[in-house]
Amino acid sequence: MKNVFQVTIDKRLEKIKEFFIFIGEIFSLLFQTIQCTFTGKFYFSRLMEQIYHLGFGSTSITIVIGLTMGLVMTLNFGYGLTKFGGTLYVPAVISLSLAREMAPLFTSLLVAGRVGSGIAAEIGAMNVTQQVDAIRALGTSPIRVLVVPRFWALVISLPLLSALSFAVGIIGGMIVCKSEFDIIPGFYFSKVFSTVKIHDYMSGIVKSAVFAGIITIFACYKGLNTKDGTKGVGASTTWVVVTASILILITDFFISKIFLVIWN
Amino acid sequence: MSETILELKNIHKRFGKNNIHQGINLSLKKGESLGLLGGSGTGKSVLLRSIVGLERIDQGEILFHNKRIDNLDEEKLTPYRIKISYSFQTGALFDSINVFENIAYPLFEHTHFSYSQIKDRVGEMLKLIDLPDREEVMPSDLSGGMQKRVGMARAMILNPEVILYDEPTAGLDPANTLNVVSLMQRLKEKGLASIFVTHDIPSALMLCDRIVVLHQGKIIFDDTPLNFQASNDLIVKKFNATKD
Repeated sequence: MKNVFQVTIDKRLEKIKEFFIFIGEIFSLLFQTIQCTFTGKFYFSRLMEQIYHLGFGSTSITIVIGLTMGLVMTLNFGYGLTKFGGTLYVPAVISLSLAREMAPLFTSLLVAGRVGSGIAAEIGAMNVTQQVDAIRALGTSPIRVLVVPRFWALVISLPLLSALSFAVGIIGGMIVCKSEFDIIPGFYFSKVFSTVKIHDYMSGIVKSAVFAGIITIFACYKGLNTKDGTKGVGASTTWVVVTASILILITDFFISKIFLVIWN
Repeated sequence: MSETILELKNIHKRFGKNNIHQGINLSLKKGESLGLLGGSGTGKSVLLRSIVGLERIDQGEILFHNKRIDNLDEEKLTPYRIKISYSFQTGALFDSINVFENIAYPLFEHTHFSYSQIKDRVGEMLKLIDLPDREEVMPSDLSGGMQKRVGMARAMILNPEVILYDEPTAGLDPANTLNVVSLMQRLKEKGLASIFVTHDIPSALMLCDRIVVLHQGKIIFDDTPLNFQASNDLIVKKFNATKD
């Protein structure tokens, strides 16, 4: 007969075991996705379709978030720095923070909500209605058909969306600089281009690509493992948005650190 | 005597503490129709899913033309999944594409047919399932019976040797049941071997050459429909009683 202490320990060990199995399955899915990309049939038309849905479909929301970030950040930094006579530093501060952090991070968080939940819901619904089984039973691979096109579509699209967000944010910053702080656009852009270096752009691009991988792999994994009908689909979408968002924030810190170590 | 094309040897399968199959032995001959009966939860569908590798068995062997297939990985199973086709209970049609694209899916994936060849082949299939001119219709606009027939057409389009029907008449009204059964009859006449999982005893007696009854993880009856009807086994008798 096991005592309460042993039962608690067993439960904890079981949870730890489940966690490591989950991590293993996530990496296995990532490995298989990359393997399927370079071996066998590649669905180019599905990739283009997904770029349209996941990438092009997210442009309007990206423009909104980019513009809002540019306007609000410039307003706050502008008034803050003006107190110390640092108004002229506003373009540099805004462009650096947008390129390195804000544009890739906020765009990715937004896309995690929009696209991550969409992927999990779509594949999850296919799973509970046996469509994923049908893909397998018809001699094709769900990873090849469903995961690979979505993975690469977002890995290609998200850096472009982040770049768009950055560009729109810079324009938003310019509008506020001109209207609130009398900084002329010529000076503003010269400061932006002289401040932001290639590694700052690279940092944003690399971050976005990694975040895209996190969003799609977690969303596809959860979709392919969805159970319990429509209730399960709802639970999967919530799980994906929360998990992907947390992982994006954690990963952001480490990639920032790596880039700062490499370039400084 | 026809050759055995599919053979299940000592199949064991469990989900958690639940022993679903406890030593199933079954064989299917070329062109033969086998009716698989059993109460709900006895593992009839699991057995079909195991044959095509959608579920992995815990013990035993599944042989197709004397070649073991239960231990193959997903990639290596592909040629066998073309030869052993699975018709899902719900049809499992891809809901984002139309009827034509659903039926043509295996042709696009596994053949090098031109688009016009594929269109002709899908047209023939639609005639066979009595749904001509429905190429452009989305699955959600079809009735349950029509969806099942489209699912069958998709399962048959690559001319498999065996088709596994998972409760094809479940939930259908008598007219739709008749449509599905007559389609299965036509396929049988073409020489297609099949395993027919069902609770619909009259259809099974009409279509099948052999009836197998699954009970508590084991096969308790495996004989002709005539002997099934004449059986004195209590469990078999219960099934017989439901046919009227």
